[in-house]
Amino acid sequence: MTKLAELSARSLAKAIRDKKVSSVEATQTAIAELKACHELTNCIITLEADEALAAAKAADSAIAAGTAKGALAGVPLAHKDMFDRRGKVSSWGARIRSEQPAAEDATAIARFKAAGALQIAALHLTEFAFGPTGHNYVLGHARNPWDPTRITGGSSAGTGCAVAYGAIAAGMGSDTGGSLRLPAAACGIASIKPTWGRVSRAGAMPLAAALDTIGVLARHVEDLALTLGFLAGPDGRDPAASSLPVPDYVAHLGDPVKGLRVGVDEAVVRDAHPDVQRMLEEVLAILGKLGLQRSSCRFPDWQTLDQLVQLVQMPDAAAAHNAHMRTRAQDFGPQVRARLEVGHFIPAVDHMTALRARGTYLQRTLDDTFKGLDIAILPILADPLPTIAELDVAGGPQLQAAMGRVVKYTRPVNYLGLPTLALPVPRHGGLPNGVQLIGRPYAEAQLFAIGQAYQREVPPDIARPIA
Amino acid sequence: MAPPAQSPAGSPTPDVAAYLDMTPERRAAAKAHVAVLSNTAGKVALELPLSADVDDFRRVLVAEAKQP
Repeated sequence: MTKLAELSARSLAKAIRDKKVSSVEATQTAIAELKACHELTNCIITLEADEALAAAKAADSAIAAGTAKGALAGVPLAHKDMFDRRGKVSSWGARIRSEQPAAEDATAIARFKAAGALQIAALHLTEFAFGPTGHNYVLGHARNPWDPTRITGGSSAGTGCAVAYGAIAAGMGSDTGGSLRLPAAACGIASIKPTWGRVSRAGAMPLAAALDTIGVLARHVEDLALTLGFLAGPDGRDPAASSLPVPDYVAHLGDPVKGLRVGVDEAVVRDAHPDVQRMLEEVLAILGKLGLQRSSCRFPDWQTLDQLVQLVQMPDAAAAHNAHMRTRAQDFGPQVRARLEVGHFIPAVDHMTALRARGTYLQRTLDDTFKGLDIAILPILADPLPTIAELDVAGGPQLQAAMGRVVKYTRPVNYLGLPTLALPVPRHGGLPNGVQLIGRPYAEAQLFAIGQAYQREVPPDIARPIA
Repeated sequence: MAPPAQSPAGSPTPDVAAYLDMTPERRAAAKAHVAVLSNTAGKVALELPLSADVDDFRRVLVAEAKQP
């Protein structure tokens, strides 16, 4: 049998359902692998081994009795530690947090539970999910499983590490400026940042509500399709959650991709490191082999988008943390504190201008950039994978420039709210990196179909330190 | 250090976000960064129609939804 670590969550669920492996065995293996991953990467905030094993025993009993429910019955997973779970306190990657246990599960957590999945741990994140590199000056930095001197990407750092290492097949993260895509690129895995509003944020830690998006990281695109299928949909607890019908994403994984048109904005891509541009060309060649047609496109001025998204994000985040910034500023890490401070200086009129302009810029992007296109493609990281030391700028004078470079290709996409699939580039034995496929609103099924075809050419990897 | 700005009534005008415990260097850096962003907001505002609304974004997302 294939090693458990190599299976997709969907395949592992079938193996458990078919009694080829028990949930207890799968969970024991996942816990052992996660511990090993943690030694390497600092990916765990809370390990919940006993609780997970008890749930696994219950899952095995239900399967034996024929009463197990859900597409992921008995499958051990783990998520970023920013979701409410009934009776537990989430760390939010911070020293400052609610001391009150959550009264109920976040909607996304509840939907994973309804699908039968187990949670074996709460995973590392940048403090308050407000940082793109995996640095956390309160709980310790996360380290990349391919090379522990390198960044993991953030803020969903622990999920990126654990999925890449093969400890879990998939796990949740969030994305306000790149936090699902950057760890995917840095750790060499896939992720889906759905259309803004596609997944309920109820019970998830807020960073900037106008931008926050819940999504999933996984090695296999089919797991992104499977999990988004049950995560998406309306929710009375989140008025922004879309009531549009949720397609059967898994059923569409095999949709033809030949003839789809992919756009490249060469003027935007030109600012990436030459190696990153070469990686993008290699991915485009693979997409061409799959039958996608390449053409040029032009986004609205990229720097303007990047500044508009900051005008939305920074006051929103500053407002969320306003009380603690006034009363417990010393308990924030230096980087998050410095970033939150900036939001207090943004005039309300500029914040409102950025919010009012958002529909105009989105419409312009769809009418002009996507004219005659199905998807657009961009790098995720502008540079080859940086080291932790290179980006250890804390709250110092290099902060804005350094972080701005890391999120150069991700943050503007949040302003547009478009769905984005992150895919790893071929490594050729080297360090990972990734690209993002950007779709039209609610076109996740099309992105998954392309990603599924791509993974036939570039199969998922398991991360281990490169000698 | 420059004296605080005076309001018309003659009392000192508190600095923006005076309630934050920031070093002068960080305060200056934050102001400089925001000045760049505000400049862009000003340019964007000039081209926005008066009818532009914060809810336009959601309306466009739904109107342009593409599903299989």
